[in-house]
This record gives sequence, structure tokens and C-alpha cells, in this order.
Amino acid sequence: MAPNSTLEKSIDKILKKTEKEILLDLENSSLDSKQTLDNSLPKLEQGFDKIISDGNKEANKIEKQIIGSSELEVRNKQLLLLEEGVDKVFSKALDQIANADRSGDYSNLINTLLDESTKILGVTEVTVFTNAKDKDVVQSALSKFSGAELSSDTIDCLGGVIIKSKDGTMTFDNTIDTRIERLKPLIRKEIASKFGVGN
Amino acid sequence: MTTEGGVQYSKIAEIKGPLVVVDDVENAAFDELVEIETNEGERRLGKVLEVGNGKAIVQVFEGTTGLSISGTNAKFVGKVMEMPVSKEVLGRVFDGLGRPKDGLPDPIADKFVDINGEPMNPEQREYPKDFIQTGVSVIDGLMTLVRGQKLPIFSGSGMSHNLLAAQIARQASVVGTQDDFAVVFAAIGVQYSEAEYFRRSLEDSGALKRSVLFLNTADDPAIERIITPRVALTVAEYLAFDLGIHVLVVMTDMTNYAEALREISAAREEVPGRKGYPGYLYTDLSTIYERAGKLQGRKGSVTQVPILSMPSDDITHPIPDLTGYITEGQVVVGRDLFRQGIYPPINILMSLSRLMKDGIGEGSTREDHSEVANQVYDAYSRAQEVRALAGIVGKAGLTEIDLKYMDVGDVFEKEFLSQATDENRTIEETLGILWKIVSQLPKNEITKIKDKFVDQYYKGK
Amino acid sequence: MAAQGKIVWVSGPAVRADGMSDAKMYETVSVGNAKLIGEVIRLTGDVAFIQVYESTSGLKPGEPVVGTGNPLSVLLGPGIIGQLYDGIQRPLKELSKQSGSFIGRGIVTTPVDMTKKWHFVPTVSVGDEVTGGNVLGTVQETDLIEHSIMIPPDHKGGKITNIVSEGDYDLETEIATSEKDGETISLKMYHKWPVRKPRPYKSRYDPTVPLLTGQRVIDTFFPIAKGGTGSIPGAFGTGKTVTLHQIAKWADSQVVVYIGCGERGNEMTEVLVEFPHLKDPRSGKPLMDRTVLVANTSNMPVAAREASIYTGVTIAEYYRDMGKDVVLVADSTSRWAESLREMSGRLEEMPAEEGYPSYLASRLAEFYERAGRVRAIGSPDRDGSVTLIGAVSPSGGDFTEPVTTHTMRFIKTFWALDAKLAYSRHYPSINWMNSYSGYLADIAKWWSENIDKDWFETRSEVYGILQREDTLKEIVRLLGPEALPDEEKLILEVARMVKIGLLQQNSFDDVDTFCSPEKQFKLMKLLVDFYNQGQQAIKAGTSLVDIRTMSIIPSLLKARMDIKDDEMPKLDQLEKEMQEQFKSITGVKVSN
Repeated sequence: MAPNSTLEKSIDKILKKTEKEILLDLENSSLDSKQTLDNSLPKLEQGFDKIISDGNKEANKIEKQIIGSSELEVRNKQLLLLEEGVDKVFSKALDQIANADRSGDYSNLINTLLDESTKILGVTEVTVFTNAKDKDVVQSALSKFSGAELSSDTIDCLGGVIIKSKDGTMTFDNTIDTRIERLKPLIRKEIASKFGVGN
Repeated sequence: MTTEGGVQYSKIAEIKGPLVVVDDVENAAFDELVEIETNEGERRLGKVLEVGNGKAIVQVFEGTTGLSISGTNAKFVGKVMEMPVSKEVLGRVFDGLGRPKDGLPDPIADKFVDINGEPMNPEQREYPKDFIQTGVSVIDGLMTLVRGQKLPIFSGSGMSHNLLAAQIARQASVVGTQDDFAVVFAAIGVQYSEAEYFRRSLEDSGALKRSVLFLNTADDPAIERIITPRVALTVAEYLAFDLGIHVLVVMTDMTNYAEALREISAAREEVPGRKGYPGYLYTDLSTIYERAGKLQGRKGSVTQVPILSMPSDDITHPIPDLTGYITEGQVVVGRDLFRQGIYPPINILMSLSRLMKDGIGEGSTREDHSEVANQVYDAYSRAQEVRALAGIVGKAGLTEIDLKYMDVGDVFEKEFLSQATDENRTIEETLGILWKIVSQLPKNEITKIKDKFVDQYYKGK
Repeated sequence: MAAQGKIVWVSGPAVRADGMSDAKMYETVSVGNAKLIGEVIRLTGDVAFIQVYESTSGLKPGEPVVGTGNPLSVLLGPGIIGQLYDGIQRPLKELSKQSGSFIGRGIVTTPVDMTKKWHFVPTVSVGDEVTGGNVLGTVQETDLIEHSIMIPPDHKGGKITNIVSEGDYDLETEIATSEKDGETISLKMYHKWPVRKPRPYKSRYDPTVPLLTGQRVIDTFFPIAKGGTGSIPGAFGTGKTVTLHQIAKWADSQVVVYIGCGERGNEMTEVLVEFPHLKDPRSGKPLMDRTVLVANTSNMPVAAREASIYTGVTIAEYYRDMGKDVVLVADSTSRWAESLREMSGRLEEMPAEEGYPSYLASRLAEFYERAGRVRAIGSPDRDGSVTLIGAVSPSGGDFTEPVTTHTMRFIKTFWALDAKLAYSRHYPSINWMNSYSGYLADIAKWWSENIDKDWFETRSEVYGILQREDTLKEIVRLLGPEALPDEEKLILEVARMVKIGLLQQNSFDDVDTFCSPEKQFKLMKLLVDFYNQGQQAIKAGTSLVDIRTMSIIPSLLKARMDIKDDEMPKLDQLEKEMQEQFKSITGVKVSN
């Protein structure tokens, strides 16, 4: 689908830029993790000393517990860092889209979004909402959609449109924000795999 | 996963109980996921229960409190409810709908799976027969758990079922460490302290990193409980059948689940079956319990230990009753034994493991296991009869044999049944005590064990 | 013309579609874009109410519904034996080939392999006059089953104008043609039959031959006849399924149809794993060679559960028509009744007791009426039977609930499972005071002619002991056993021995799992003799303690496990030893 590939292209671009940055972050985190493990070792030894008299069983239990929870802690830190990386990619992508040039490709995108939305709603008598920046692009695209009318109210979004049936009972949100939100799980997976995490 | 967005409808016709009826709906599917959004921007999830003639009936998981006719929109998302799964779910804590509750981000999904699952093809199942040593004598000896089984604990309010379930989860994960083992825990409307006890118990044994927790506690929305066991089992199936892990699923308390189901049924004004529970309670429960099992050609397994509290300790109540018809046996916690301070207070006569026969014997436990267990069941049942009789006629009215059976009852409860919560007995130890019980009886009374085993193991006079 | 409509409403397995004025009642239809299989169960105006046999998740109003013009039918022909079908005769093995370990939707398969070649031996010639049901020839379906290829029962008859010679043919090959009034009809090795319509027969017999199951409490105490009806109600954990599996394994019928209706998946797997390895005690061939399984487990779509009972009984009738004795075991009819209740609820019909529809009783009656020993239509003459055994799962173990009470009206053998017996590990937990058999008198003749002329008297004596014990137990409960005189204490003692040595049967023990009628009688006779000699000994002044401690007792009680069916002389030996021991204790005077 056209809007997706546009989006992916920009994300890919940003990815390349930020990849190094994030790999560095990850490396640091891995060092951090080692540090955490190292720190936990003396804790482990202390634990050993304290309970060695209580028998091996007990010691094993606590050993498992300490190793278990520090391993988990390390893993969780990695997850958070990864998420930070993903967020960075995302916010950069969003910035770029918000400031993108509103001509050529972009008007094609708006066209596709409008077309898709009216089809899904199944009605032609619709009101279209968009942000202040996109008003002109949308207005000119609307000439191809008889029955569609641009609302004078603007909405707060990065780009794209919201379409409402004129009786007000049906709404379809086709803003770029929403589309990204929907795609986010898939994009996250892609980004994560580029960092060598996940499956 | 679809990337299509859904249409939002704003004509709400009716809100009743956990249901929202949406009018003028053109494009909704049965079972479809719905996002309910208020004008204030609050979002709740729901699903379509019925659709047609321009109407959709939506069940809202988080409840309808605070929703209004004019200020509510319903967005039909175009897919059924899915759970993102990956190996990284291990060690994580989720809420009752499968959303992170541990401050960490959403798991990065290997795939998105329909939480309702699909029925396993019986032809593709592998018959469960691998013995799980729980280290709890009464279970290993008399109601053996096997991999891929569903064996519920029937308990009553305030009794020690959680201690037992936690002990099983801890100890079962220790044996057979060459195989991957994981625990999936679903708290369904239980008190926070109970869920926390379970979490801590896993942490103490170092098993937390191989566990996934789904928590819907007593103060969480009731209707969410319809989803909690399903997301938990979706993750369990993924771990078992995609990653080859042996998964033990503990779900507590299934009674709260059934009550949530009843609430929805009542709101839909359906004709009720027994005690106000819907007529399809059996079928509905089976779509949860039947998700236990093993599959041909796949390494892992899903073993379920659901816990349910029997209202007024009544085993004929629809919830334990219908559960018992689906599960492969039941472990019944007895009020009398519990009052006597015995742990675990299992009423063995009412308990049963249907898959025991295939999980024990030569090659897995020991060849005499089945027969000695039968004899102990028989002897303990006689002991109970004699005790009842002694309560009426006094010990003087009993025969000599009757008195021997009284001894059997005592040895059974004190030495076999009673066990510390951190005591992990081997199957040999367990069988040893069983023979000690049988050896209280004269040889003439041993009618269920073949002579060769009697010659080998009997220690009586 | 096939109906072509559109979905207007979906709720679970129930779908309404409009534009369906051409649809017929009970016609099968294809539902939605996923082409799910459904059946029309009500017509109002041009709206059809459809029950869908597959999960309706994701189905939308507006999607198409297309009629097939045919009622729900099964395909009948060689290749059915040994199969595991779902409720609408789709082979589960084929489903797994297409959708893997879990059951997908909208899968199309044929019930049997249409391309497999079977060795057909014709038994009619060109020019023969035939009618519906006539046998055209035979096919060896499995080692155990010679399959008669029959003309469909609704065939209008005529002359055979062509028949193939002996040879290998697949199911789609025309093997014969018949002609009547200038119309030629092509005949193949299979035909289809609507499941809701009983297959016709010429005449019915009274059931007088016992169906031997090798289970003592059934054969000896509460027998069922070939062509009879039986019901086995019990709370969970009372061993219903194990008892049904035992019947399916050991019953002396030629074909067994086992329907897992709304029950556990693992139980069907167990049958699939176990039966190919178990040998039929009479022929020595694998049990799977005579078994057909229909599985619609509890988590599979509920509407197909309703259909599974009819699918099974139609297959059973088909093999009956070949002149075979068929046993159909349905586990559990309660789950079937629940599927009726669920559909009825979605139809918003007025409910009767506990939400069940008012037609529950008539549906049960119609089902059990399909049992019977009959003379089949067409030539040659064939006598076959369908024995129907249905499990009932009463909620809360309460036998007064609607499914149990209605079932009791239509069956003649009632095996009441008892939770108390199960709790004390008395298996099979068939309660001997609450169970009954309406066939006892008819079947006694068979036993006296084939096993022993004293069978009926001996059985009555043993049953008498159990009845006496039941009354005495009340006294013991109040006063203790020491309050009874020795002759009554002996009744208690022997009743205990009857329970352990005769009524109980260990289905997991290699020897005990099946008991021949001869052994059943001998074991029973031994215990009656023990009782009579014991009473004489007490009259002669022997103390009860001496009788109780006789070393023969454990051997008597374990004889069911220790002595095999082909070791009957050992039982005679046991009888002799018993007499000697009685002699020795009556000879010695011991003060009590």
C-alpha cells in the first residue's frame, strides 16, 4: 500500500542514521549488565557465607534466586534500552513526516487515504478533517470526491485525514498518527530484529 | 495482523451491565475486537457477541461504568483479539488482558495469536503419559500428574490450595531439568496477596525468569476475567508448541471466571441453566481446559492445574461439576483434614487422576505402583467406614480387623499425607510409605496386589 | 434451484440469512466467504435460521449463503472402518493434513478415499430382479469386515442390466446398472443417506441374545441384548468412560461405532492409540479393524456435536443392513442434549425444564428407537442389530434431572454409576441396588442353554445375598457388626467377597479386563458354594473367625486376576480346596 511504503522508506532512512547510535547504547547497556552481574557476585558470596551452615539445599535455593533475579534484571534493562532505541527511531520518523514537503508524493498519499476511507465507510456524503498545514493539499484532492466536504475545523495531527459521515454516526481515522500507531508493533519488530533482538 | 483501521460508530443504542449495543453498524464481524472510546479519550476494549440487522452487541471487558449514550464511540478494529507472543514474555508480568503490568514495554512480537485458539485435532494429540514428579506424596503416589494433563484443585474458601499449587509449580520445575520448563500463572479475580504469594514463591525458587504472570486481581474489572485464562493459554501454547517448552499453567480462581460469564449471560437475558449459569457453561469451560495437551511431532506440552473454590464446599455446584466432567481428574481439598491442621489436606477418596494409569508403572515409576495405590485407596476407604462406626458403637464394638484399619488411617494421614511445604519427596520415598501403610494389614486383607509384589515389598507380620 | 442468500445476523453458531425462500428444512448450506458448513433448522418467510458446524468467528452480515440442495448426509461405502470422523463425517486425519495440529475452517474433504481400489466380488448377475437394499457384491474392507455393497434403500428396484466382473475398482467406478420402466440407474460401491432419516428394514425381532461384554456386573447381573438399549448415567469420576471403553473393546459385536460427543479430546486419542494394539478376544485381530470413531470433542463447534449422534447411528444402521451386529456407544448424550439446548436458546424458543427445549424427550425417543435387531430389506436375507448405549452426565450426579429422567423412559438397561462406590475404588462403580435390566428374563434362556442350566438360580442366590446385606448394613450402622448373629455376619462377609471377587473388575489388568461367560459363571458359583458351606459350618458350630481366616479366601478373591479364561480347571481345583478347608475347620472345635 502506498502510504505504508512511503512511511517505511522514511523509517528506513532514519534507521540507518540511528543504528550506530543505538548499537552504541546497547553495548553500553551490555557493559552495564556485566557490571550488575559483577556487583551481584559479592552479594552471592555473602549469601553463601551466611547460610552455608543451614545446608546445601538452602544455599542452592538462594543461589538460584539471586542469579535468577539478576539475570532477569539484566534482561529487563535490555528491553527498556531497546524500547528507547525504538522510540528514538519513531520520534525522528514522526518529526520528519511532520516537516515533510507537502507537494508531489504527499498529495498522492492524501489521495490514497481519502479513497480508502470513503470505501471503508461505504458512503460518499462525508466531512473531512485535517490539520492546518494539510488543508490546501486536501482541498485540492477533494475535487475527485463528490459529496465530500472539508470541515473548517482543523485537527491536531501529523498529517492525513479523519472522515466522518455527514449524519455523524460513523468516523474513520486515517491520520498518519493512527496509521503509525497501528503499524507500531510490526515496525518495532523490524527495528528490533535489525538490532539483533527478538526472533 | 491486519493493518486496516476500523470504523468508529457513535450511535449507542443501549448500555446495560457489561454490554453496549451499537446502532447503524454496517461493517462488523462476529467476535471482532472493539475499542470503546469516551469523549474524554479513555479507551476500553470489548468484543462483538452478536451482530446483525444494523446492530452490534459489544461486551466491554473493563465494564461500562462511566460510559454514556452520547459520549461513547465504538471502533470495530477488523480483527479478533490477539496476544503478541515471543520468547521474551518469560519473566514478564501482564494484566488480565495481556498488557504489560511491570513497567516494561510491550513484548516485541514473534507473532500475534488469536487468544481464542483453535481446537486441537484429536487425531493429532499425543496421549499424555510422562510422569511429572511433584514431590508431593499424595499426588505422586495416588493421583499422579502427567505432562499434558488438566488436573484441577477443587478447594473451598480459606483453605491451603495456593500453598499446594505453588509447591507443585516449584518442585515440578526442578525434576527433569534437561527439558525446558516454564510456569504460566493466571490470577483470575483473586486477592492481591494470593497473587503476590505465588509470585514470591516462584522468585524464591529462581523460577521467575521462566514464568509468565497474568494478574487480574479482585479489584480489577470483572469482565476482563473472561480474557485472562485465554491470553495465558495463548502464551502457554506458544511456549509449548512453538518453542518446545513444557509449560505448567496454574489458573486461580476459575469460580471467578464462571461468575463473570454468568454476569454477561444475565445481561443478555439468556435462559439460564442451573443456578443462573448459562447453559453453555460446559462448552465454554471446555474451550479453556481442552487447551491442555501434547501434540504429535512437537516437543512441548501444556499441563493445566486450574484452581477453583467450591461455593459452600459443594462439589455438585455447577462450576466444579462441569469442570470435573471436562478435566482429567480432580484433586479435592477436604475441610475436615484442613481443620485438623493437615497439609496438604487432600481428600483422596474424592480425588482422582484419570491419566495416572498410563503415567505410572514399570519404566516411569515402579511396576507395583498401581496395585499398591489401589490397595491403599481401598484400605483408607475402609478406615473411614470404621472410624464412622467407632463414632457410634465405640471401639469396643469393633472387630480386630477393624482396629487394624483404624491404624491404617492414622499412619496414612500422619506419615503419608502430611508433608512440609518445602519437602520434596522422591517417588521411591512415596512408594515406601505406601507399602508401610499396607504392611499395617494382615496378608489376608491384601486383595488387590499380586503375590509377587507382596513377597517383595510387604513388611507386615 | 439452490438458494442464494445473505447473512443478516450472527451470534455464535447461529446465523440468520435472508433471500433464502428456496431453501429446504435441514438442507446443508455454505455460509460466508469462508464457506463454512451449516444446516437450515428453521424457515420464516425468506429468512433461514442456520446452525453452523464450524467456528463463526469473523463472520459478517452481508456475506453470502448458498444452498447445496441436499440434506445433511453421510457417505456409506468401504473405507469407513478404522476412521476417526468429526461430527459431520470429515476424517480428522485429512483435516490435519490440510490445517495441521489444530482444526481449521472451511476445509473440504471426502469421508473416504475415493481413489482407493477395493477388490469387488459380485453376487448378482445380469437379469436379476433387485430392490432397494439388495446386495450387489462384497468387498473385504478389513481383516474382520466383509463389506456388502448394497443398492441404496430408496432405489425403486428393477433388473440388473450390467454388472462388472470380479476385480479392483475405486468408489467412483460404475459397478452395475439397473433398469426399470426404461430408466437406467447407475450404481457405485457407495451411496449417500440423510442422517436424520432412519434406514428402512423389513421386520423387527425381539432382542433375546445377550450382547456379551466380558464385564461381570453387566453380563451376569444387568445384561443387555443385541439390538437393545442401555444407558449409563454417572457423576464425573464414576468411571463412565472407562466402562464404555470396556464395552467398545470387548463386546461380541462385529462392528463398534464409538461417538465422543462433547467429551475430552484425549479420550479419543486414547482409543486411537490403544485399539490398534488390542486384539479382539474372539478373532485375534486388532480391534481397530472393526471400529469407527466419531469425535466431536467439547471444544469443537457445538452444532456439529448435535449432528455427530445422527452421523454415528446412520453408519451403524448401514453395517446392520449387511447383517452385522453393531454396538453404538455415545459418550455423552447429555452433551448432545446441551447442544440442542444451546441452539434452542439462540432460536429463542420457549424452554421447558432447566432450559432444555420441549422436544428433548421426543428427540431422545427417536434416537433410541433406531436400535433393534432386524431383517434387512433386499436379498439375500440378512439379520443384523444395532445396540445403542448412551452415557448420561447428570449435572451434580442428580438422576432426577431432565436428560436422565427422559432417557430412562426409552431404554431397558440402566447401569447406575455410584459416586460412593467410585470414591472407595469399587470399579466398575455400577450400583447393584439401583441398576436394572429389562432383558434378564429373555436372556436367561441363552445362558441356561449355552453356559449352565443353573445360571438363573445361581445369579438369583448371589443377588439375594447382596440384597440381604443392604438391609443388614442399616443395623450395623446403628449397632455395630457385633450385634449380629454369626449367620448374618457371614452374609456381610460373603457380600464383601462378592463385591471384591465378582462385581469389581480391574480394566487395567491384563487378565481381569475381559471375563468369559464360563468364567463369570464359575466365579459366581464358587462364591455361592462358599456361602452355603459357610452357613452349614456355622450351623455345625464352627466359629465365624475360623471361616474368616480361611487361607482360601484371598485366592478366591484374586481368582479373577490370577486365573485366565483358558485355565478353567484351576477354578475347579479351587473349589476342591475350598471344600477341604471347610471340612478341616468343621472337624476342629475352636472356642470363640
